[in-house]
Amino acid sequence: MSTELLKAVAASNEWWALGPEIILACAALGLLVLELVTPKAQHRFIPHAAGMALAVVLAGVALNFGKIWDGEELFGGLIRLSMPGQVARVFFLLSSLLVCFLATVCLPRARVPRVEFYHLLLVVTAALMLLAQSNHFVMFFVALETVTIGFYILVSYYRERASSLEAGLKYLVLGALSSAILLFGIVLLYGAVGRVEAGGVVHTGFEFGTVLTFLRENPGNFLATAGALLVIGGVAFKIGAFPFQIWVPDVYQGAPTPVTAFLAVSSKAAGFAVLLLLVHGAFAPLAGVLVPVLSLLAAATIIFGNLSALTQRNTKRLMGLSGVAHAGYLLIGVVASFTVPWAAGAVWFYLFTYLLASMAVFGVMAYVAGPDDSGEELDHYARLARERPFLGAVLAVGVGSLAGIPPLAGFMGKLLLFVAAFHAQLYGLLAVAVVGVVISIFYYFGWIKAAWFEIWTPPAAGTDSPARPLPAGPKWVGVAALALLTFATVLLGFFQAPLSGWLLPR
Amino acid sequence: MTALNHAILALLLPLASAVVIALFLRQRGAVASWLSTGVAGAIAALSIHLLLGGERFESSVEWLRFGAFSVSLGVKYDDLAALMLFIVGFVGFLIHLFSLGYMHDDKARARFFGGLSIFMFSMIGIVLADNLFMIFIFWELVGFSSWLLINHYHEKQSAADASKKAFIVNRVGDFGFLLGIIMCYWANGTVNFTELGQDHVFSTAIPLLLFCGAMGKSAQMPLQVWLPDAMEGPTPVSALIHAATMVAAGIFMLCRINVLMVPQALEVIMWIGTITALYAALCAIVQRDIKKVLAYSTLSQLGYMVAAFGLGSIAVEHGGHQMLLAAGVGAAMFHLTTHAFFKALMFLGSGSVIHGCHHEQDIFKMGGLMKKMPVTFTTFTIGVLAIIGMPAFAGFFSKDAILYLAMTKNTAVFAILAFTAVLTSFYMVRLWKITFLGEARSDAAKHAHESGLVMTLPLVILAALSIFGGTWFFHSGIYPKLAGTVALLIPEAHGSAHTTILLVSLAVMTVGGGAALLFYKSAATDTLEEKFRFGFSVLTGLKESFDRVYNYYVAKVQQRFAMVLNFLEQIVLAGAIIRGLAGFAGLVGYGARALYTGSLHAYVYWFLLGAVLLWAYAAGIF
Repeated sequence: MSTELLKAVAASNEWWALGPEIILACAALGLLVLELVTPKAQHRFIPHAAGMALAVVLAGVALNFGKIWDGEELFGGLIRLSMPGQVARVFFLLSSLLVCFLATVCLPRARVPRVEFYHLLLVVTAALMLLAQSNHFVMFFVALETVTIGFYILVSYYRERASSLEAGLKYLVLGALSSAILLFGIVLLYGAVGRVEAGGVVHTGFEFGTVLTFLRENPGNFLATAGALLVIGGVAFKIGAFPFQIWVPDVYQGAPTPVTAFLAVSSKAAGFAVLLLLVHGAFAPLAGVLVPVLSLLAAATIIFGNLSALTQRNTKRLMGLSGVAHAGYLLIGVVASFTVPWAAGAVWFYLFTYLLASMAVFGVMAYVAGPDDSGEELDHYARLARERPFLGAVLAVGVGSLAGIPPLAGFMGKLLLFVAAFHAQLYGLLAVAVVGVVISIFYYFGWIKAAWFEIWTPPAAGTDSPARPLPAGPKWVGVAALALLTFATVLLGFFQAPLSGWLLPR
Repeated sequence: MTALNHAILALLLPLASAVVIALFLRQRGAVASWLSTGVAGAIAALSIHLLLGGERFESSVEWLRFGAFSVSLGVKYDDLAALMLFIVGFVGFLIHLFSLGYMHDDKARARFFGGLSIFMFSMIGIVLADNLFMIFIFWELVGFSSWLLINHYHEKQSAADASKKAFIVNRVGDFGFLLGIIMCYWANGTVNFTELGQDHVFSTAIPLLLFCGAMGKSAQMPLQVWLPDAMEGPTPVSALIHAATMVAAGIFMLCRINVLMVPQALEVIMWIGTITALYAALCAIVQRDIKKVLAYSTLSQLGYMVAAFGLGSIAVEHGGHQMLLAAGVGAAMFHLTTHAFFKALMFLGSGSVIHGCHHEQDIFKMGGLMKKMPVTFTTFTIGVLAIIGMPAFAGFFSKDAILYLAMTKNTAVFAILAFTAVLTSFYMVRLWKITFLGEARSDAAKHAHESGLVMTLPLVILAALSIFGGTWFFHSGIYPKLAGTVALLIPEAHGSAHTTILLVSLAVMTVGGGAALLFYKSAATDTLEEKFRFGFSVLTGLKESFDRVYNYYVAKVQQRFAMVLNFLEQIVLAGAIIRGLAGFAGLVGYGARALYTGSLHAYVYWFLLGAVLLWAYAAGIF
């Protein structure tokens, strides 16, 4: 980039468009400063400051939602502002806000420094938002790496625990490997496209638009196709699609519960935001190759995720593997969006219902778990409904929505995806998805059963293991947050207009 | 508020009352009973207001739509609905009032009054429905509330059995009803009454299938078996649901679908009604339980109404030219109205008697109640006079209308119905004489006492209606407003026919009533059983024959078939298919789970495998 261009960028007012990301980055730094300048007794307010920052930015984005500079490219084509980008911003901010809430529940139980967690959370959120709006492979890779490196630290945040460290290490090795695959794909694309000079401006294979033009004009180019598929492979790691899902259960189990929720919701959604961006942008001419590959991935992911979740007793592994199955349903939506334009909106709708239900379930898990949250079993939920009926009810609604039981939001999400798949004539995938949903009902209901239906067990004589302590009762913030999530899940099941009118413009 | 809003209010008020009672007032019987009664009073007021307001309207909204098929919810408030709403609202209110006294000491008072409110909601839904689907929904709801209320004394085995029997027998009829609705939709493309009235396909099957619903609900042969057993419920329930309103819903529904009727179907309906009327009257003669006598009498009178409907239209001279008059509808609805008054009166009277005699129901253990319960005696006597057709009482006019219709249309039916009328006055006078006259024959009867005002007031009002209810239709300024076009349909005899009918009805009343009055002694045993043992056992056997046949069928045929199905379900469906598939999935799941070894080396190879596969696909290897 020449000095003139840099000056032009600095002089322009394009920075305003990135206001939310910039504010979050500043807030992240501000948190660290706050820790330095305030007395230690006041540090417990720092999480609230992080939550406030997220809430303010969320409100700002929501208020300025109509001001989308549709298709406008900023910073010499690094960023492209669009409607899906705005939706993604709202999604990531909402998700991070809820992760922030979970962290205030979980972190005090462990002997770890707290402020850095919220710092990383804000940085990762900003990077996620940039990732969903990137229009350039360098931007794309840098944002992605910022997210991934943030997650390396977050996953191993309980640094005194072997399970957390092990999860962090696994995530680091496999994440690096997937980044390598992704980077290799980008390099292949760059090499295939080369440098194109048009109208005195030099374009390279890093730009999405140039890749699109190249692929449109050279449909059979092997290097470019291989590069695109390897990039998809790198993204498949993020969303946990077969065969790149193998890291999911170990990492989900070892990570602190708020980080698991963050991985399950935001990281997965980021994968789908990027996937939709790529398959409808740069890689659109490769539909002939991508549709069979993604279909195969979707079918394998659904079957594999559901079957391996079937026998899990550990709740975090269960959430992880069932989340793999959800990624499979979402992939069907991505495949359908090649022929049915509104399917992309259905994918986002599903992600929002998944966000509401998952966060509710993770919230309950955060309260049920004792100091060691990696060993939480289904058996620990026995008597939950009697001892903490509120948590039991939230769990039932959240898990029911994940299972897709009408009239909850998850059902409508699945219905929209399946209708889109039906319109796209993906009957085979639809059949696989229905079988998958049937299997998923078994393990989801097993969870509800564990919480609501008591199974009498003979008192073990002699081996009197200490009784598990009662799950912590949520304070009013927790009650409000969980009640809101539950209410939204139920409401969206009956009344989709507020969300679908926004995501599925007719 | 418009009239439509009033109608909707009348429909939703009892629902709100039921919901409030079910959610908040389960332990507060007194509040629940006053709430429910207050709502019933409001409904009665609304129904009278709507009736006299003179406005008739129709309105509907779409509820569900699947492609071309749509279900709408609507209100059709014409003269028929106006009359029926008045009966349901007004009689319902009086019975609520009576229940305040009758159920005062009941432990589950809140459940009882909640059930009454649900019943009012469902019944008004049937009355106001503008299409068959909607009728069906509320039809099932009245079935549910009837089950709930018969089962009120659920700790009694007989009550539990009776409620189950009523529910199941009604399902049989409703199955035909549902088939009829589906067939009607399939043939006509609509189930809206007004649209059906404009244009419809002529078919015998559709009205007969729909009649199956009426056969269940109005307890016509061969589905009549549940009604006598339903007397296990509290007496106000018997009065409201199993005498005045719900069992009449079948007749009301027939009048609603009158346009669909064809002569063949009417013929079948007429004969079923006639036979039911005769059969039930014969059974009533040998009953000892005061409520059972009234129950069989209700069956018999319902048979009258169905027969009247089946007799169909007659040609009349009007303004110099011949025209067809849907006299069947007029006569049936007329008798329905008067019957609702006098039968509710007699049921409440019997309730008062039972209440006064400390829950003694055997009439041969009563006697001599005339002096101890003067109000109940007087009003009950009025009820008896009304049902046996004493001139100037309500039943006289409505029964005459039916007999006249039968005489002009079908002599055989006329003969049977006339004979039934003889039997009616015979068993009613028997009941009246044994219960009220003579000496007290048990301690319960000796210590009988008159009921309180809250119970006798409804009796007095219903007695007044039983006297004037008939003449209202003919000789009063209110009547054109009261029933409007429905009243115009009532067949009226003129000239010599008038004299014939009058003489016939006087003769049957005198013969039946006189015979009973002379024959029965005020004794602790049934005189008929003593003197004509054979005849008595024939009549008893007649009553029990149906139950025997059904029991045999259920035990020997249905039970065995169900065992076979159960076996198939256990072995094939639950065993092989469900458990088998689940076991298979579980096994594969264990296999899949084993792949997550936890070893990082293995995971790295997974990733490399994925990358190689993607590369291979790009290279076109597969």
